[in-house]
Amino acid sequence: MAKRSPVTPILATILLFLALETGSVLMIAYNSVFQQVRIFGVLMQIHGRFLNAQTNIKYYFSLRNVNEQLADENSRLLNQLAKYQTQLDTLKADSLSYKPLGDSSDFSYIPAKIIGNSTNKKQNYIIIDKGRKDGVGKDMGVISPNGVIGVVNAVSDNYSYIISLLNINQSVSAKISRLGAFGPLIWDGRSADYALLTEIPQHIKIQVGDSVVTSGFSSIFPPDIPLGTIRKSKIINGTHHEIQVKLFQDFRTLHYVNVVVSSHKEEVDKISTQNEE
Amino acid sequence: MKNSFSNIILFFSFLITQVLLTNFINFGPLLFISVYPLFILTFPTNTSPVNMLLWSFALGLGVDYFTDSILGLNAAAAVFLAFVQPLIFKLVCRKGELENQIRPGLTELGLSRFLTFIAIGLTIHHIAITLLENFSFAFQFHSLVRIVLSLLVNTFLILLIEFGIFYKNWR
Repeated sequence: MAKRSPVTPILATILLFLALETGSVLMIAYNSVFQQVRIFGVLMQIHGRFLNAQTNIKYYFSLRNVNEQLADENSRLLNQLAKYQTQLDTLKADSLSYKPLGDSSDFSYIPAKIIGNSTNKKQNYIIIDKGRKDGVGKDMGVISPNGVIGVVNAVSDNYSYIISLLNINQSVSAKISRLGAFGPLIWDGRSADYALLTEIPQHIKIQVGDSVVTSGFSSIFPPDIPLGTIRKSKIINGTHHEIQVKLFQDFRTLHYVNVVVSSHKEEVDKISTQNEE
Repeated sequence: MKNSFSNIILFFSFLITQVLLTNFINFGPLLFISVYPLFILTFPTNTSPVNMLLWSFALGLGVDYFTDSILGLNAAAAVFLAFVQPLIFKLVCRKGELENQIRPGLTELGLSRFLTFIAIGLTIHHIAITLLENFSFAFQFHSLVRIVLSLLVNTFLILLIEFGIFYKNWR
């Protein structure tokens, strides 16, 4: 037997050992849900930390843009507030039917920062820095001032994983604001700027430029959140419009979102599952 | 040449034994039967580590595939056992036994040394399996009972196999 350096075979053994173990653990993860959940939980935490650091750096350089966005949003809200204030005052003065608003509104919001986002795949996901500890739960809606962002898919203690609206498996119940016709808004996987509003009956006379808002039928999203404007449409199978909607929200410059907590969601879901049974 | 031939025969006989034992007898949740570690533990000491890892991986995978377990579970444990087998053997061997071409079995080591050898190996293997199944380092009394019970039963089974006739002819 020829004498060789003892380091090489030892190294080869260790490498093979690691490769085989990794293969086995991958196989376990692939075949068993329990282990999968544990592994992905840990991976999500690590991934979240990493993305957080990365986004902090990016975020610092886009502060100017964010400031502008926030200022816009502020002024818009102030305008609205002023409008409603005057309306309220006139109502108070003129009408007997005025009733003060109760404290319990249907929806409350959890502000969150985006730490991971993709727009260039068929199935895009977003990760935000709020999780179970902050009250985020599975199947909650996520919105921004300019529209719907997505639905929470998985939650860890500090992070949440959101299926973006830009995901071919995602759909949002939407309606044409002026006409009230509603249908699912889906994404066709082509451009991050456009989505498709489908299943609008043919007899509805739509116009280019009509605004599309959420319908509020799904109990995930509050009604009348602006989504986009109609750009063009075509008729499918002679029965339905397929409308291309230009989205208000540019998903590529998104930094802050709000998670929608619906106080009545459980009740509504319970009723609908009862009916199905 | 003879060595690899006997390895193939032993490989399949251990696989079949293991599969028969696990599939046809249900021992309940507190006991799992694994006798295939004997194949890994008693590799001739001059086998190259790479060979040992590959044989063990194949055996573990075979056991996983034919018994009703999570694919990869026994493979991971078997590969780990093969990785530490030389270290365990060093604990119990005497001088000169390291360059041996035969399997270090009951007759070669003697009862007390062989029992120590098997017990240490099986403990490592069982702990690896339990850790992979629970996938956490949190201590569970249930798992401890399971490890100890299985350890006792498997050691006994392996001793029976070592006393057996078929095994003696093929190593």
